[in-house]
Amino acid sequence: MTSIMQSETQPQLTDASTALGVAIINSKAPFSSNAGKDALDVALLFGSFEQKVSLFFQGDGVYQLIANQDGSLLAIKDYLKTFSAFEFYDIEDVYVCQQSLIERQLSKTFHIDNVQVLTNKAFAVALSKHKHVLRF
Amino acid sequence: MSTLHLVRQSAFSRNDFEQCISVLAEQDSLVLMDDGCYNLKHPLMASLLKKDNNKVSIKVISTHAQARAVEVMAGISQITMADVVELTFNHNKVITWQ
Amino acid sequence: MNTLAVVVTTPPYSHLTITALTYVEAALVAGIDVVGVFFYQDGAMHANKDISIASDEYQSIAHWQQLHQQYKLPLHVCITAAEKRGVVMGSIDNEIVNEAFTVSGLGELVELATKASRLVQF
Repeated sequence: MTSIMQSETQPQLTDASTALGVAIINSKAPFSSNAGKDALDVALLFGSFEQKVSLFFQGDGVYQLIANQDGSLLAIKDYLKTFSAFEFYDIEDVYVCQQSLIERQLSKTFHIDNVQVLTNKAFAVALSKHKHVLRF
Repeated sequence: MSTLHLVRQSAFSRNDFEQCISVLAEQDSLVLMDDGCYNLKHPLMASLLKKDNNKVSIKVISTHAQARAVEVMAGISQITMADVVELTFNHNKVITWQ
Repeated sequence: MNTLAVVVTTPPYSHLTITALTYVEAALVAGIDVVGVFFYQDGAMHANKDISIASDEYQSIAHWQQLHQQYKLPLHVCITAAEKRGVVMGSIDNEIVNEAFTVSGLGELVELATKASRLVQF
């Protein structure tokens, strides 16, 4: 009984059999490469197949989340706007590496809501809860 | 939950290895392959090895290091691709840093 | 049962692809059930049958074909990634596509990830 109570109040997936879904790490800045869009396409597909998918932003990948960007100035169709559709695809977990933000002198002002800023340790723990990891 | 990390880029030109190190957990293993072999001589590796509590197992694909004339220090195990396949299933997941 | 799915994102002329091939071959030799290889991003260029790599360079496409034939290894190429690299034009049975490859959507990647106990990206 106690163990059930604990798992309800403090979910900690540490067993391989309970790992769920796919984690996608974004490591590239949004505009000079197509990596962010490629990662987004994969994320949305997993979402539309009702697979759990979580997004992680680390290194230059954090630039994908920063507010007030405008890809249209570069004649790039702004795929970042699609991020606001995450909830329709049941993509609930969006994590950003705090250290990467600090290194780049970025504030926690993102163009979407519900972004969770995590320390390295928490970022690693969140990552470990997934069955598979892809990185773009 | 252990993770197998495949590191394929030199930390002298990119920060993938640094990002990898920032998420390393105790039971994880690190495999250096391709230009990732050059990380054996990177300061990040030196500090990783110096950590008293370092329990991460560090390996390198022997042919990849040998081809690049990278000296493999004691304490780093030299493995084959067949070993990487085995490690894939000895860990819960694989993250490729490239 | 150990099952493996592999994602290849590097082009046929990249030396990084040799590592992916060596890994997949080692898995097959070890008797691992490789449920499929999904070619995404620049990996999609592998499916272009018109690519000609100089004979003194590593023949990655021929090598994938060989694994496909020898082990019935499914090779899936992402259609959107292929199209933007000129590999698929209009119809999926276009002559540009190497017959060892199946033109698939990203849904196939979801399928492979669901089937496989490990997903490894190269």
